[in-house]
This record gives sequence, structure tokens and C-alpha cells, in this order.
Amino acid sequence: MSSNAQEHEDRPWFLAHHFDTVGQQMSSAKLGMWLFACTEVLMFSGLFLAYFILRDLYPEMVLVASEELNKTAGGVNTVVLLTSSFTMALGVRAAQTNNNKALKRNLLVTIACAFIFMIVKYFEYTTKIEHGLLPGAWFSALEHGYMLPKYSRVFYGIYFTMTGLHGVHVIVGIGVLSWIYIRARRHEFNSENYVAVENAGIYWHIVDLVWIFLFPLLYLVK
Amino acid sequence: MAHADSTQNSVYLNGKPVENPHEDHHHVSPVWEFTAVFVALLILTILTYVVSFAGLGPASLPVAMIIAGTKGALVALFFMHLKYEDRFYGFVFAVTLLFVAIFFTLTLFDMSSTDELNEEAGIKYKRTVEDSAEAAESAAAMKAAGLKPAAAGGGGH
Amino acid sequence: MSDDSKKTDEKAEDSASTDVVATKTEKPVTTDGDGHAEGVAPEKSYLTASRGVMSWLVTVDHKRIGLMYLVATMFFFLVAGLLAIALRTELFTGQQDFMSAATYNKVFTLHGAIMVFLFIIPSVPAGIGNFVLPLMLGAKDVAFPKLNLLSFYVYCIAAVMLILTLVLGSLDTGWTFYTPYSKSTGTAVIMATMGAFVAGFSSILTGVNFVVTTHKMRAPGMTWNRMPLMIWALYATALIQIMATPVLAITLFLLVIERTLSVGIFDPAMGGDPALYQHFFWFYSHPAVYIMILPGFGIISELITVHSRKHIFGYRAIAISSVAIAVISFFVWGHHLFVSGQSELAGIVFSFLTFAVAVPTAIKVFSWVATLYGGSIRYTTPMWYAIVFLWTFTIGGLTGVYLGTLSVNVHLHDTYFVVAHFHYVMVGGTVVAFLGGLYHWWPKMFGRMYNETAGKISALLVFIGFNTTFLTQFFLGHQGMPRRYYAYLPEYEVMHQVSTVGAWILACGLFLVLFTLIHAIKSGERATANPWAAVSLEWRTASPPIEHNFHATPQVTGSPYDFPEIDKSGKH
Repeated sequence: MSSNAQEHEDRPWFLAHHFDTVGQQMSSAKLGMWLFACTEVLMFSGLFLAYFILRDLYPEMVLVASEELNKTAGGVNTVVLLTSSFTMALGVRAAQTNNNKALKRNLLVTIACAFIFMIVKYFEYTTKIEHGLLPGAWFSALEHGYMLPKYSRVFYGIYFTMTGLHGVHVIVGIGVLSWIYIRARRHEFNSENYVAVENAGIYWHIVDLVWIFLFPLLYLVK
Repeated sequence: MAHADSTQNSVYLNGKPVENPHEDHHHVSPVWEFTAVFVALLILTILTYVVSFAGLGPASLPVAMIIAGTKGALVALFFMHLKYEDRFYGFVFAVTLLFVAIFFTLTLFDMSSTDELNEEAGIKYKRTVEDSAEAAESAAAMKAAGLKPAAAGGGGH
Repeated sequence: MSDDSKKTDEKAEDSASTDVVATKTEKPVTTDGDGHAEGVAPEKSYLTASRGVMSWLVTVDHKRIGLMYLVATMFFFLVAGLLAIALRTELFTGQQDFMSAATYNKVFTLHGAIMVFLFIIPSVPAGIGNFVLPLMLGAKDVAFPKLNLLSFYVYCIAAVMLILTLVLGSLDTGWTFYTPYSKSTGTAVIMATMGAFVAGFSSILTGVNFVVTTHKMRAPGMTWNRMPLMIWALYATALIQIMATPVLAITLFLLVIERTLSVGIFDPAMGGDPALYQHFFWFYSHPAVYIMILPGFGIISELITVHSRKHIFGYRAIAISSVAIAVISFFVWGHHLFVSGQSELAGIVFSFLTFAVAVPTAIKVFSWVATLYGGSIRYTTPMWYAIVFLWTFTIGGLTGVYLGTLSVNVHLHDTYFVVAHFHYVMVGGTVVAFLGGLYHWWPKMFGRMYNETAGKISALLVFIGFNTTFLTQFFLGHQGMPRRYYAYLPEYEVMHQVSTVGAWILACGLFLVLFTLIHAIKSGERATANPWAAVSLEWRTASPPIEHNFHATPQVTGSPYDFPEIDKSGKH
């Protein structure tokens, strides 16, 4: 049969045995990635729901407790992540247009932004820990001279859970992007075979998307 | 059936024949488009900031969410290429958001209606009763310890 | 062998050979028919293509992964089943026999957790589904074979974690891990929830794989309306796995955080709300109930049509109702919270929405019965199981409507009525369908026929044992016997004893299934490529299939339910 005969001739090295065409492989990979992105959105949605319920139960508390978060740090991190998303999109474009040099450069900038994000996060967390603004049982704001409403510990619990889980995603993203970078150095990507770059990009944009919502909800409560 | 005779010498994708398998549609967005989106995102970020200090009161949450939604849509449509992709990805994403909406609506609906109905029936949570008592207690403790309250609620000495 | 089954076999071979004749006009090597039956140099089957333990452990072949899943899930079915027998035996008398109250709590928790997370959820989709889905689609493999293997190992890690709880002080919260108790109990909640979390991850990977495979890997000519209903069911299942499981993940994650950091979101003492946990948990777990039952529906659709030699009644209705169930299942979780402090208004809304899910389910049952009507039914073992399914699942489904009714639920909540209801759905539905599916596809998996008489006896034993066990529990529950009690009042004793005896009979039936199936592998008759004379694609390759499924990509020209007999008689 025709497809059988075609099978062993002019199959590119990156085409897996169970696919018929590059297009099939590529669209499968992308659909898989989009489905994964959806699971990420749904997973974070649980935390957002917890946040909204907390806000519904104690609107005053959330207002006061969130004042202690560092708006500048949050804002800087927003800009950093947006920039990284921008360079990531440019990186995918570079792969599509066979510009390996630009791909590598953009990936490096993206990874650097991810590191900056984590460093800023580190300083934010350190301040919170020093001031006893910790989740649940470790909450000791009173001892550190902060008069916060009752149940503020729940707000900090949510804050640490949400940003913590987001941070974990950033760290995973650093790993994924580094792996893509290594592959780019091996010249594995070109305008026919760039779906791995694009998928890493989709993941990275999801990380960005979550932060876009986290920032106003946690830092800019009014 | 109609398929049996036309199946020779052609490549299939998703169960349908593909005319030119090597001419897959790859959309390459121009750089200016990405740049424009990036600038728009930065402007919207500043806008979020401004709005949060503008003191819109109860409207501030919906406004902040609308801005964040717009930013999210920009990222999804242009950075993630959703605008140019197979419509199905957009559909999947929309379905996800729909399910998130179901989750939020029904849970928040229950959570908020519980409070109202309890109030109507005169049921009080032990928590709320205790809270007012405890708040007074801790304020007194704060005064005794000579700490300056950081937040609103009774100026210390 | 009985006359009846001999006739079936003859008939099967007969139609199989007509198949070959039909395809022989083409070159023999490239026919869609089976090489083995024609005597063409036999290509090695997937079982013998490579040898050694390593060739199984690192395989990316969906058929081998499916088999590994089957072995693992059946092992846990055995473990959790033995726990159930222990529970029922303890309940033989109203007093404490050999388990203390604490032990009883741990045993029923483990029974539930293992059954749900390690058996029912993965068994049909990841076990049978993995094996048949690409074959039915005419694909060489699933879209992401490595991810498929990864999902199996993730499942194994989850299994190890859940088993490790035994060492770490076991678990006594029930499989639902309800707060606030799960926050304060001294048992190994963290390990167990992390285990369930990881199992969920494996489930997501399988779901993503199946959706992409169904979308992108269908054989030429296989339009959506020509897909076997098993695929539709697996597709709907995969959608729920993708959409619901992440919420379980975050719920269990929050529970772990709650226990380690006492964040307080589920803790009323710290300002949280325990009902919130139940909202979160059931947003996943109610759809998860359909993860468990939908693949069973798919199997039954196949069994009923193939073994009654009739085109399925209402193909589209069954296909669409699978997806409809998947969607509606997300609207009904609140019926688990009727007495948990949910507002009355929400209770009414959820009660109403719950009734809605009965509609697509009923459409399916009616369509199956209508398919049987006027068909030339072959009473093979799979058909027996399908008939048992129709009985027990209908009872299970209808009692679900009782429980979805707000006012009735308040009376029946947390009684044996609930226990009986979900066992009727899970065991009478999913497990029976699973067993029927095993008998149906066993010849394809191993190329051997099972003993028809023993298979039928097993179906009979399962039917009798199952109904004796759980029908009595409806009455127990209705009279007020609460669930999860290790001792009870004397007036319940007779019915508890009947139920326990039933459980023993059920166990005998299940052991007979195990015995027949293993016996079939060892010394069953060789199966032809298409012993049931079915039309769907998995029967168009050798039994057992060759490593890459098909010699040549099969072409689909019609519905998977157009049986040759029907065509001969001039379309109905």
C-alpha cells in the first residue's frame, strides 16, 4: 500500500515511527501541549477560587494583610516576566525562520529573566520570613510588631501557596528552557522542526499568564 | 463507499486526505506585532498600578480583572499564536475557561448564599461570635505590650 | 464445550473466512485481513517480538504497556478485594470479631483508596483502553508512546506510595480524605494524598495521550461518525481526566499544605471552611465517577453489538451522550454536600442538575436494549456479562436518582443505601463491563480462546454473588444502618450475614474469572484473527497483533457495526 512504501524513504530524522507526516507529528505535539496548558490553568484555578472565597469571607483582612506585600517587587517581577514572554515569542519566531543565533540569544534572555524573577522572589520571601508573615502555624506577625487582623495567617498561607507553586513552575521552566537551549546549540531546530521550542514557549506563557492574574489579586488589593 | 477508491497514493491526517503534506501552514508573526503586544502589556501593567491607587472602591476588583483578562488574552492570542492556530486549540482553551467558570460560579454561589441564608435563619457561626470577643482581647494585649499597631483599629499609646 | 458455544465458534470462523475471501482479491501480503490465518510467513507478534524482562520494562508499545497496566490493576483489584472480604467477614456478626474499630477504619479506607485510585480509574482506560484504542483507530501506536510508558511508571510510584502508608501508620479517613478529620488524624494522610496526587498525574498523561491520539491518528476514512463507540467513551473519559484531575491535584496539594503548614483554609478554627474542601474534592471526584463508568459504557456498546450481530441502535445518541455525560458531570458535585452545610438553595440547584445526568445515561441503556431487540444474540461469555451489566447498572443508576433527590438523600445519607448504590455502579457497572471486555479482547491480546463454559459459570457466580451482597444493603441502608460501622445492632444481623455470604460467592466468581483467563493463556485453543466476526479495526490484524499493529494502514469504508450478515440480507 502506498503509505507503507513511502514509509522508509525521505522520512526526516525527527519523525517518529508511528506518525505518517511531520505535520501530523507537529500538530499532535501541539495539541498535547495545549491540553497540558489547560490542566495547568485548571490546577491554578483551585487556588484562585480559594483566594476569592477568602476575600469573600474576610474582605477587610485581605485588604490590610496585602498592604504588607512589596508592590515594587511585584511590579518589577511582572515586567520581568512580560519581557521574558516577549523574548520567548521572538525565540519561537527565530526558530521558525531558521535563525538559530537569534533563537539562542532569545532563550538566554528568557532564562536570565526567569532567574531575575526568582532572585526578586527570594528577597521578598526573606523579608516576609523576617517579619513573621508566614502561613498558618508559623505566623508570628504580632511578635514582630505587626498588628494585623485575625486570620491574616490564612492570607499569607494563600500568598505563599500561590506564589510558591508559581515559583516551582518558574524553576521547572528554567529547566525546560535550558534543555531547549542545549538542543538549539546542537542545531536541532529549523523551520520544519521547531515544535519543541514552541511547546516550551506555550508552557512559559502559561507561567506568565498565571502571574498576570496573581499580581493584581495579591499585591494590588483595593 | 466514496473513500475506498480515492485512498490510493495520498497521505492522511486526522482521517482526512491531505493534498500537499509538506506544505503545512506555519504562521510566522512579524516582529512589530510582538513588539506592539509587548508595549501594550507594559502599558496595561502601569494601568493596573494606577487603578489600584485610584480608589475605585468596590469597582476596583472587576476593573483589575478586566485589565488582567485583556493582558491574558493578548499573551494567549499573539504570544501563544492562538489567533493563527487550528481553531480547535482555541476551543479547548475556551472549554477550560468555561469549566473554571462553572467551578467558580457554583462554589461561590453556595458559599455566599450560605451566609445570607444563615443570617436569615438567625444561625451564627461560632467563629464569628468568638471573633469579636477575641479581637477586643488581642487589642488589649497589644496595648499592654506597648506595641504600636501597624494597621487601623485603635491608636496605641 | 457446550453445543451453543461450538456453534458460535463455527459461525465465527465462518465469517472470518468470508472476510479473508473478501480481501483475497488484493495482494495477499498487503491485505487488511490476517496473515496468520492465510499461512503467509507469520510476522512475530508483539508478545514475542522481543524477549526478556527489560524488553517489557522499557517498551513503548501501547499493547505491552496496556498489558502491564492490566496486570498491575488486577493485582490491586485482588488486594483490595481481599480487604473487602475481610471487612464483610468482620461484619458477619454484630460484635467485634477479629478487627478492632480502628483497624476496621483503616481497612475500609485502604479498600476504597486502592479500588478507586489504583484499580477502577486506570483499569479500563489505561489497561484495556491502552491496548485497544490505537488498534481500533488503525494507528501504529498512541500519539506519545514514551509519555504512555511514563504514565505507567508514575502509576507504579503512586501505588508504592499508597502501599507505603501501611508502614507509616495506615490511613483511617476514608478514601475522600475529608477535612477537618484528615487534618488532625495521626495516620499517614500526607503519604496517601501524595500517592493519590501522583496517581492523578498518571491519569492526566493517559487522558492527554488518548485525546491527541483520537484527534490525530485515525486511519484513513475513519471519520468521527465511523469511530467505534468504545473510542467515543474513552475520548469522553479522557476529557474528564484532563479537565477534572488538576483540581484534585490542587485539592490534595492544599490538604498537604494544610497539614504541614496549617494554612487554615479548610480549618474552621483558623478561619477557613471545611465545606470548601468538599467542594474542591467533589469537583474532581464526581466527574471521576464518570471516569470510572464511561469506559465501561464503551465496552458494553461493543459487546452488545458484536454479540447480537446487529448494528447499534442510535449510534449518534450513544456517542454524543458520552460527551454529554462528561460535560454534565461537572455540574453535579454538590449532591455530595447535601448534609455538609451547603446552603439549601445550592442543594436544590444541585439536586436538579443531578437529575439531568440521568438523561444521557438512560439514552444509552435504552439504546443497548433496543440493539438487543431483534438481534441474533449469541450467548457467549462477553454477552452474559453485558446482560449482567444491564441489570446491575440500571439498578445502580436508578438508585442514584433516589440519592440525587434532596429530601430522600437526607434520610439515606451515609447509610448502606449509598454503599449499595455506588457498588452497583462501580462493581455492577464498571467491573462487570471490565470482565466482559477482558473475555471479549482476551483472544486478541493473547491469541487464545478461554473456556466458554467456565466463563459463563463465572458470569453467573458474579451475578448471584454480587446481587446477594449488595441488594440486601439497600434494605439495610433504608432501615438506617449507617456505613463505616464495624459493629451493629442485632436487628441488622440477618441481612449482614446474607450480604457476607454473597461477598464470598462473588469472590469465588472472580477467582474463577482469574483462573479461566490464565488457563486460556496457557492452554486455550488458538484464536483466529477475528473469532467474534467483528468489524472494528482491531480484529483486522493477527491475534495477538504484530508489533506495529497492522501490516499496512487499514482503510475504513463504513461503520464499525455493519456486520456481514446484515449486508447479505440487503441492509436490515
